[in-house]
Amino acid sequence: MKLNERSVAHYALSDSPADHTGFLRTWGGAGTPPTPSGAGRRCWFVLKGNLLFSFESREGRAPLSLVVLEGCTVELAEAPVPEEFAFAIRFDAPGVRPHLLAADGPAAQEAWVKALSRASFGYMRLVVRELENQLREARHSLDLHRRSSWKAVSSRCKPQAPDRWSSGLENGHSLSRDCSPMGLVEEEGSRPAGRGLAEWELQGPASLLLGRGQSPVSPETSCFSTLHEWYGREIMELRRAWLQRARENQPECKDQDRP
Amino acid sequence: MRYNDKELQALSRQPAEMAAELGMRGPKKGSVVKRRLVKLVVNFLFYFRIRFGPIGALLLEHCRVIHEEPNSFSISFLEDPERKYHFECCSEEQCQQWMAALRQASYEFMRRSLIFYRNEIQKMTGKDPLEQYGISEEARFQLSGLKA
Repeated sequence: MKLNERSVAHYALSDSPADHTGFLRTWGGAGTPPTPSGAGRRCWFVLKGNLLFSFESREGRAPLSLVVLEGCTVELAEAPVPEEFAFAIRFDAPGVRPHLLAADGPAAQEAWVKALSRASFGYMRLVVRELENQLREARHSLDLHRRSSWKAVSSRCKPQAPDRWSSGLENGHSLSRDCSPMGLVEEEGSRPAGRGLAEWELQGPASLLLGRGQSPVSPETSCFSTLHEWYGREIMELRRAWLQRARENQPECKDQDRP
Repeated sequence: MRYNDKELQALSRQPAEMAAELGMRGPKKGSVVKRRLVKLVVNFLFYFRIRFGPIGALLLEHCRVIHEEPNSFSISFLEDPERKYHFECCSEEQCQQWMAALRQASYEFMRRSLIFYRNEIQKMTGKDPLEQYGISEEARFQLSGLKA
């Protein structure tokens, strides 16, 4: 099967965070004949996400091998003499040979088994979804406390269109629901399709907010113009849609409390 | 770089996030569009000859997904942004669905999301949400792991 190897190698060598690194001895795989003593071949291993790369040395400029850590289990294993501290990556799929590796000591062995066991995309996705739910709930309860303080702050700031801003943001619940990191805290099945989002560069939406050092919902955020900038396009679109509806609606029609 | 073909094949048979028949054109100059079964599984995009086996896979880390007119998108990678894999969809809606799915289909995206959520929850509640899972010290979940 073809693979975009050049891109994969580039990713392996990039400074994206490595989740675990270290020397391991490897043998039993194709192209890795054991050394004359029977011991495995010592390589520098780098775990990035669900990808395990090996290099000839720490300074290696091209990965020797790649193992994709999906659909596998990692367990301690018996190593052929004179090896110790071995573990195996075993795949559920039939006909796929396990990878046998050995660490330098018991602590390294344990650390590697732990790191590799939690390397799958599915595991990461589970944790992210769990935190998504937690954040949604935390925001919801924070919203209910924030309504009055937001009204007070909006009158202190110099908004472009004071009426629009304060009314639009009174509906605090809908604001926080719709303006979370794009695509992340949406209901299942409702993708940000057709909203005209610009193509994302390499950063995910989270990094946009993290880079500014403040949170949109933190108590330190004092000016709505900053908030507006952070939420960016999505807020502008929401605002536009809201203004449109506001023009069409009766003047006395107020924002309702959403359940 | 050595990799086990059987491992990749097994992965390509896993449940897919998205799967559809799309028109695909490789990055080489002069490539023509071919109908392929395209499958998104974790952070890999597999493409199959329809009714036959898998031809190849694209690891989706450090990739960029761009909308191309009409009803199409392209995938390119950090080290060579002009080298594009081009995909034609049957509708703009399908195109947007794929683009949205692909932009989130990387481990790096998930890592950033997790760190963001962790940080937000910590600020709002004063508690580290990862502690209850006993994984708060893991390297992959640290704020320091992010590039500025």
